[in-house]
Amino acid sequence: MKHRLISLIWVQLNMNFAISHSRYYYLEKRQRLWEGVLIVVSVIMTAAVLAFGVYKLADAFYSQASLLHQEALTLTTGILAAQFLMLILGIALVIAVFYFSDDLPCLIPLPLRPWEVLASKFAVILSNEYLGLLVFIVPIFVAYGRRANVGIISYTLSAITIFLTLPVIPIAIASILAVILMRIVGFTKRKDMLTIIGGFLLVALIIGVQFYVQTRLPARGEEQEFMMQLLSQANSLVAILGRQFPPSIWATWAISEAGTSRGLLSLGLFLGVSALAFGLFLALGNRFFYQGVLSGFEAPTARRRTFRGKPERIRFSERTPLLSLAVAEMKLFSRTPVFVLNGFIGFLMFPIMFVVLLLLGNDPEISGLWSSLVNVPEFHSIGTLLVGAYFFLLTAFSGIPFSPFSREGKANIWFLRSQPISGQAAAMGKALASEIMIVVGAIPGLAVLQYTARLPVVSLIIGVSLGIAASYALCIWGVLLDMARPMLDWTDQQKAIKSNLNTVIGITTGIVVLFLMGYLVNLLFKRGCSGLVAQVVSGTVIAVVLGSGLRVLQLFGDRLWSSIEL
Amino acid sequence: MKAGDACLLKLEGVSKTYRGSSNKAVDNLSLEVAPGEIFGFLGPNGAGKTTTIKMIVGLLMPDNGRIIVDSHDIVKDPVSAKRSIGFVPDDPNLYNRLTGLEYLNLVADVYGVSAADRAKRIRDLLSMFDLASEVNDIIQSYSHGMKQKLALTGALLHNPPLFILDEPMVGLDPRSSRLFKDLMRNHCDQGYAVFFSTHILEVAERLCDRVGIIDKGRLIACGSMDELRKLSSETDESLEDIFLELTLPEQVD
Repeated sequence: MKHRLISLIWVQLNMNFAISHSRYYYLEKRQRLWEGVLIVVSVIMTAAVLAFGVYKLADAFYSQASLLHQEALTLTTGILAAQFLMLILGIALVIAVFYFSDDLPCLIPLPLRPWEVLASKFAVILSNEYLGLLVFIVPIFVAYGRRANVGIISYTLSAITIFLTLPVIPIAIASILAVILMRIVGFTKRKDMLTIIGGFLLVALIIGVQFYVQTRLPARGEEQEFMMQLLSQANSLVAILGRQFPPSIWATWAISEAGTSRGLLSLGLFLGVSALAFGLFLALGNRFFYQGVLSGFEAPTARRRTFRGKPERIRFSERTPLLSLAVAEMKLFSRTPVFVLNGFIGFLMFPIMFVVLLLLGNDPEISGLWSSLVNVPEFHSIGTLLVGAYFFLLTAFSGIPFSPFSREGKANIWFLRSQPISGQAAAMGKALASEIMIVVGAIPGLAVLQYTARLPVVSLIIGVSLGIAASYALCIWGVLLDMARPMLDWTDQQKAIKSNLNTVIGITTGIVVLFLMGYLVNLLFKRGCSGLVAQVVSGTVIAVVLGSGLRVLQLFGDRLWSSIEL
Repeated sequence: MKAGDACLLKLEGVSKTYRGSSNKAVDNLSLEVAPGEIFGFLGPNGAGKTTTIKMIVGLLMPDNGRIIVDSHDIVKDPVSAKRSIGFVPDDPNLYNRLTGLEYLNLVADVYGVSAADRAKRIRDLLSMFDLASEVNDIIQSYSHGMKQKLALTGALLHNPPLFILDEPMVGLDPRSSRLFKDLMRNHCDQGYAVFFSTHILEVAERLCDRVGIIDKGRLIACGSMDELRKLSSETDESLEDIFLELTLPEQVD
C-alpha cells in the first residue's frame, strides 16, 4: 500500500512538473531545447532577483525591529504573510487540483482510497508552494540567521523543517473548506455558479478573519501601554501576534530559539498541529471527496425552457467574427469556475483589502495619511494616474490576457486553428474579450477608489481612459506572448492560467513597468512638472507600447498563429 | 470553385517530419480529389492519415510540397482555403461550457453565414441528426455521439465545397451513420467533394468513388475499387483483402 501511494505521488509530481514530457521533447527529441534552457535560466534569474529583494527587505526590517528588541518579528511577519497568502490563494488552487483535474476519470476507477488520491494531489500543491516559499521565505530565514546569534546547525535544521512544513496548515485548512464547499455544491444543480460564489465567499471569510485578527491589536488610546509592554520584554510583539494564530509563533520560536528546549517544544507543537490538520483533512476528504467529485461528473441538465424542444423557436444572432470570438471567449471564461476564481479574485480582493485597510482598519495613521493625501491639490493628477495604474495592475495580476490560447488546451485549440480566421483576428478577439472582462472587473475597485478619493469627473474620465489604454496595451502583448508559447498540455485548468509561466512573466512585467512608470512620474513631479504633463507623458508611453504591440501583431500574428501545431 | 472545375483538393509532393523524429510521417504524398467525388483515405494505425488531414486543414505545416484547397494554397492563403473546408476531427472536443446553439452561432459567425441561411441550415441539420431538443443544453451534457453530430452540423453550416472528416463514423448510432452517408452522397451530388479517413473498410468500399491507401507515410495505392483490384493478386477481392495484402508487415527472417 505504501508503495502504491508513493507511486501515485510520483506520477502526480511527474505530470505537475512535466518531467517525462520535458525529458522526451527537450532531451530525446531535442525539440526547442533552447526554449527549455531559456525558460530555466530566466526563471532562476528572476527568482534570484526577487529573493535578493526580499533578503534586503528582511535585513532592513530586522534592523528596525532590533531597536525595539523585536528581532524575531522578522520571522513572524514573513511566516504570517506567507501562510495568509497561501490560505487565500489556496482555495482556488485546491478546488482546481482536487475537483477539476483531467486525470480524475482515470484515477477514480482505480482501486484507490479517496484519501490516497487526495494525499497525492496534496503533494502536488505542496510542491508548488515550495517554489514560492524558496523566493519569499528562505531569504527571510537567511537574513535572520545572519544577523541573530544562533547556532548554525540547529538553526539550519529547524529552518529547513519549518520550510518543509510551512504550507501544510494553510493548505490543509483551504482543503478542508474546499471539500466541505464542494460537498454542499454537489447537492445543487447549478454547480459551476455555486462553486464560483462559494469560492469567493471563502476568500472573503478568510479576509474577514484576518480583519478580526487585526482588530485584536491595540486600539486607539492603548498605544502607550502597548509600547511599554513591547520595550519591557524582548520579542513580546511576536507573542501578541502569535496569540491570534499560534502556529506562527511556534514556527518563529522553533527557528529563532533552535536548539533550546523552548525551540524544540515549539517545533514539536508546530509539527504536531500540522500533522493534526493534515490528518483531519484526509479523514474528512476520505468521507466526502469522491461524493463531491462524482456529483461534478453528472452532466448539468439545466435548460432554458423557453426554447426547449422547439427548434422553430430557436433564435439566431449574427455577429462579426471578431465580436463572436470575443463573446464566446467571455462565456467560456466566466462559466469555468477555476478560471473565474483565479482570474477574478483580484477584482474583489483589491477593493476589499483597500476598504479594510482604509475604512475599517484601526490604524488612524493610515486613514489620516490617506485623508490628507486626497486633500492635496495635486492629488487630482496623482489620482488620475492611480486610476490608470489600477487598471494596469489588475490586468497584470489577473492572468487573463496571458493565457487565452493556453486555456484552450490541446483538446480545444483545433477548433480555432481550423477556422478561417487569421492569427491577427484570433489575437484581437482574445484581447478584446480580456479587455472587456478587466474593465468590468475594475468597476468595484474603481467605485471604492472614487468613494474615498472623490476625484473630479474629468480626472476620473482621463484616468479611466489612460487605464483602458494601458490595460489594452498589456492585453495585446500578453496575447502575443501566449500565442508565441501557449501552454496547451495541462491536466488541471489551474495550470493553464495561474501556474502558467506566461502569467508569471505578465505579473513580473506588470510590476516592473509600473515601477518604472512610477519612477518616471516621480521624476517629472520633482522637476516641477504639472500633473497634466505627467498625464501626457504617461499617455504617450502607453500609446507607444500599444502601437508597437499592434504593429508586432500585424507583422507576426499570422506566423505565430500557424506555428501552433497540433 | 464551383462544381465542374478541375479539383477541389490537390496535394503535390507533400512531406512532413515531426521535429526530433528521423522518420517521415508523410512522405512525398500527391493526390487529387475532384468535385463530386467521395475520397476514402485508408491506412494502418500510424500510417500518416491524421497528419495528412491536419496539414490539409492547416493544423500542421508541411515541410515540402503544396496543398491546394479550392484553388487556394493552405500555407500561403490559409484563411481563404479554410473557408472552403468543413472539418471534423477524429475526437471532436468542442467547447464544453457553450450550449450547442452558441457553438453553432460561433461557427456561423466565423464563416459569415447570414442569419437567414444559418437558421435554415441549423434547423435542417439539427432535425436530421435529431439534435434539435438538446441544442440549448451545454455541450458538457452531450454524449460522444451527440458531440460528433454537433461537430458535423457545425462543419456543414456554410455548405463547404470540401468536407474533410477524420474517422467520421466513430460514435454515430446506426441511424445517424446512415443519414450521414446519405448526406455525404448528396453533398457530392451538388458538385462538392468529401475526403475522409476511416478504418471501416466496408463503408469505404460501398461509399467511396476513389480510395487512397497510405502506409508508412507513402501513398501505396490510389484509385477506384476496380483500379485497386487490378493491383491485387485476385480480381474479386474485397477492399479488406486488398488493404491487408498491400499493408502486410514485412516478414522478418
